[in-house]
This record gives sequence, structure tokens and C-alpha cells, in this order.
Amino acid sequence: MGNAALLPVAFEVILIAGALLVLMVAVIADRRRSVWAPIAGVAYLAAAAAGILQWRAVAESGGDLYFSTPDIVIVRSPMVVMDGFSAFAAILLGLLGFVALLGSWDLVVRLGKRSAEFVALGLLAVAGLHMMAATPNLIVIFIGLETASISFYILAGFIRGSRASDESALKYFLLGSLASAMFLYGIALTFAATGSLTIYGANSIRDFFSVAIITEPGILLAGLALMLAGLFFKVSAAPFHQWAPDVYQGAPSAAVGLMAAGIKVAAFAALARIFIGGFISQIDAWAPIIGVVAALSMVVGTTMALVQTDLKRLLAYSGVAHSGYLLATFVGGVEGVPPMWFYVSTYAFMVVGAFTIVSVVNGPAAHAAPISSFKGLAKRSPEMGWLLAIIMFGLSGMPFFAGFVGKVFAFVVAGEAGFLWLVVIGTLATVVGLAFYLKVVATIFAPDESGEGLEASTSARIAIAISATVTVVFGIVPWPLLEVVRDALPI
Amino acid sequence: MAGTNAPIECKGSILVLNQYYDDYITVAAFMIMGFVLVGAAVMMSRAIAPRAPGGLKDVAYESGIEPIGEGWNQSHIRYYIFALLFLIFAVEAIFLFPWALQLEYFDSIGMGVFALVEMLVFLVILFLGLIYAIRKGVLKWE
Repeated sequence: MGNAALLPVAFEVILIAGALLVLMVAVIADRRRSVWAPIAGVAYLAAAAAGILQWRAVAESGGDLYFSTPDIVIVRSPMVVMDGFSAFAAILLGLLGFVALLGSWDLVVRLGKRSAEFVALGLLAVAGLHMMAATPNLIVIFIGLETASISFYILAGFIRGSRASDESALKYFLLGSLASAMFLYGIALTFAATGSLTIYGANSIRDFFSVAIITEPGILLAGLALMLAGLFFKVSAAPFHQWAPDVYQGAPSAAVGLMAAGIKVAAFAALARIFIGGFISQIDAWAPIIGVVAALSMVVGTTMALVQTDLKRLLAYSGVAHSGYLLATFVGGVEGVPPMWFYVSTYAFMVVGAFTIVSVVNGPAAHAAPISSFKGLAKRSPEMGWLLAIIMFGLSGMPFFAGFVGKVFAFVVAGEAGFLWLVVIGTLATVVGLAFYLKVVATIFAPDESGEGLEASTSARIAIAISATVTVVFGIVPWPLLEVVRDALPI
Repeated sequence: MAGTNAPIECKGSILVLNQYYDDYITVAAFMIMGFVLVGAAVMMSRAIAPRAPGGLKDVAYESGIEPIGEGWNQSHIRYYIFALLFLIFAVEAIFLFPWALQLEYFDSIGMGVFALVEMLVFLVILFLGLIYAIRKGVLKWE
């Protein structure tokens, strides 16, 4: 392993260089957005390509730790790990960022000169998100989390002079900082209990558990609980979910897709890296906590979504429920990682597609998206109507859509781990959840009096089409993706 | 080196961790001693100091010069941006010092160029930030 090898950090390097380039082009060349559009798009795609190169490198020679060698004593613990896990996260996040950029293009056009910052923040956020998946060091996970979170706080309040946007950003910032602080304190207590900040490598948490018997686990358990609480907040799992509907509501619709989907991908990746990679020996301690939170998220998310009249709030509460289904995969230990990847990667694209449609129908900078505004969408714009219906079916977990496959595998893993009660609650929540997803579908196909036409930009249409394609294709032929995620394990 | 990098002491294949937690007694002792000493100093001065309130003692201390005017003063909001920019370069300077001290060591293990390039990358990113700020008109006083 060469220290100058850039492949393990290529994803971050490309995206951060892209962000700097976008900002520099914006202030020096003083061009219109037509210039930084391709830069950001190419950066996302190049980053995803770097992820594919990482994947192939891992397939050839296996995963490895980087930026730590025996002859350099200063760098004690590895900071970067390149394995199937991080490579898959790179591919997924690169493509997700690209689709989200296409989806938010209307907003970028409308923002004019400020859109350079919007695009650059997106690039930086995705770089931070991948950092969370690609590092075995708890502090670097925290830095990645903050890089992404701070970018998202700004994106949430990006519409200046709008009270709803300000409220959304401030709420997200205050509560998000609290969650970050909890996560950091959890790291500190874990360090106090294990004497290590790194999951792999010399003197790591894994080494510690392979030789140590903990007689007084109090500090360790407190540390694990705080780390869990911090990440539960980020994925908006109940009871840490109250911020999500308000933030999604106030933030510009076109930015919410990346905010909602990206942080879920990365936070679940970090959760898997920390708890399945590092604390798998303590699974008896943390699996019940995750199980209870998963059940609570399913129940709270589903029941609250039933009474929503705004599609953005509905999607926020459905996100709470989906966090529950995703958490259910974690009780299965390392067996749960492939189902988690399958679920979160298809879900992420569905969410981006859904919010893109919201921004097409209600305007990219709008806050409110009442479900009634989608009435007769299938008649006003058959394309949008059908695509939204497909995404709603996907989210609801209907058979032949990707959400169904994801849920089945999640429940199988949870059942095999002995959490049958969780499977029962999850199945019930899925059935109840059908009600509000189908309510949206019924609204789409309801007869419409106004009959106004609806025009969507090409980029938004491509983004939504990609998202719907993912929903359908991986619902009918899930095997290729299932085959891939089987290798996307932490080393 | 109990308590720092290698908190675990091997006894056969099983490690005893009670010792490790015992190290926290030192921390607790430090804290208690801190409270006791500071508290004692405050109590002592309370007990033995003569007290004569009023007069010049109520005047704000400004490096020995007699204070003139109000205690509250407005400063321009624009200084905030300057303070932010200053902070960036203050942090840069803090990073430069340890790097400069360790550069020879890096060179001796054959990684001198690597360390140099790493720091250049860091400096260039900050420099781009400065360019961005200037082009955005942050440093113009209007």
C-alpha cells in the first residue's frame, strides 16, 4: 500500500476539487450557470467512476486500510479503508448526487448567480457523506458527518428572506448540533472504555474486544447509546424524528431530495461500520435498542403519515417509517448489511425522485406541497402522474417494486435473528402504510377540474425517470443488485 | 503506559480492565483537589481581607487609564467578516508550525515531498477561499 495512492480517497478528492472549481469559476470567470453545470455533473459521475475503480481494485486484491504504515509512527491509526463497503457507498452516492443535481436544476436556474454556492455545497455534502462510510476512525466519521450536516443546514435555509426556510434551517441547525454533540460525546465515552478511536488496525476497538473482558460495561454502554442517539437523529428514527417534517417543509423542495436521501445512506453506512464492523461482539447489548427504535419508527412514522395533508410532510413521516425498516436489518448483524444496502440504495433514488416531482408540481423553491395540488396530475401531465404513482408504489412496498424486495429481505434478516415481534410490527406497519401511499395515488388519478397543463424541464424529467426506473427494474429483477451488495461488506 | 495509548495490561490471554478504570480515580482526585484549593483560596481571602467598598473601586479597570464615556460601544458589523477571515489564517498558521518542525523528520523517512505537497494542498485550498472572499467583495469597505 503506497502512501501516495490516491484511489482510496479519490471520491472525496474529485468532489472537493469540483466544488472549489465551481466556486472559482463562479467568481473569476463570472459566467452564467451554464458553465458550472457540467463541472458539477462531471464531478459526480467521475466520483462514481472512482467508486467503480475502487470496487474493481477491492475485487482483485481485497479491502485494505490506508494512510497508516508501520514505519510512520505518527500516523498510528488508519484513516481510510477501501473495501467493498466504501466502494459501493462511493458508487451509490456519486450517482445519487448526480440525479439530485439533475432534479434540482430548476432551482439552480432560478437562483441565478447564487446557484454556484448551491451546487458547491451539494458536492461538499456528498464528499462528507462518503467520508462517513470510508473511514474506520470514529473522529473522521464525525468530521464527515459535520461536513455533510453543515452543508445541509445551509441548503435548508437557502431561500433568503423566506421565514419558512429560515425556520427550517435554524431548527435543523440547533437540533442537528445537539445530535452531533451527543454523537461526539458517545465517541469520547467509547474511547474512555476501549482506549481506541479506530475500528480496524493496530490497537483498535476490534483488537480490544478480541482480548478483553469488560467487567464494568457502564461507560461503554453509555458511549454506544449516545452514538446511536446521534445517528438515530440523523436518520430521523423515532423518537428523534420531530425535526424532519418541519425541516423538509421549510427547505426548498429541490434541495430536500439530496438532504433526505444522502444523510440516510451515509448514516446507515456509518451505523453499519461502527456497530457491525466494530462492536459486533457487543451485539447482545445494542441489537435490542435498535430493534425497539425500529419498531417505534415504523409505528410512529406510519400513523403520523396517515393524517398528513402535505406531501412533503407525508414523505418525511414515511422516511421515519423507512428508517425503522432499515434499522430492522441491523439486528441481524453482518447478515443485515447486504439487505441494508439494497433497501437504502433503492429508497434513496425513490426519495430523490419524489421530491423532484414535488418541486416540478409546486415549484422548486416552494415550501408547501398540499396533496390536493396533485389532484388530477395524471391528466395534467400523464408522465409525471404515472412516475409519481410508480414511486409511491415503490415506497409503499408493493410487490414488483423495489421497496417490496427491500422490505422482504429486511424482515427475513430480522426474523432469522429472532426478532419475530419486529417482523410482525413491520408487516402491520407496511399494510397500514399502504393507506396513505394509495391515497396519494388516488389523488393523482382523481378527475381534475382545473386541467392546467404542467411543464417539466428535461433535467427534472430525466431525474424522475431514473428514479422510477430504479424502482421498477430492481423490483422485478433484483438479483443483479443483490449479487453486488453481497460483496459490499465491511472488512 | 496505562491510561494513554495502551490501556490494557496483559495477564495471560485475558485482560483485567478494573485497573484501567482505576486510572479515573486520578482524574477524580485532580478535580476534587482543584475545587478544594480554589475554594480554600476564595474562603481565605473572604476571611482575612479587609473590606472597604465604594469610591474608586466601583470604576471599571482599563489598564490603569481613567475610563471615559460609556462602557458599551458599537463596533461595525463588517468587522465580523474580517474576524472570520482572520480566523482562517490564524488556524493556517497554527498548522504550519508543527508541520515545519516535523518536515525534517518526514524527509528522513523519505516522505519529504509527500509532506510538502500535503501542506501545499492545504494552503492552496485556503488561498482559493481568500480569492473567493475578495471576488465576492467581502473586503471592500462601502
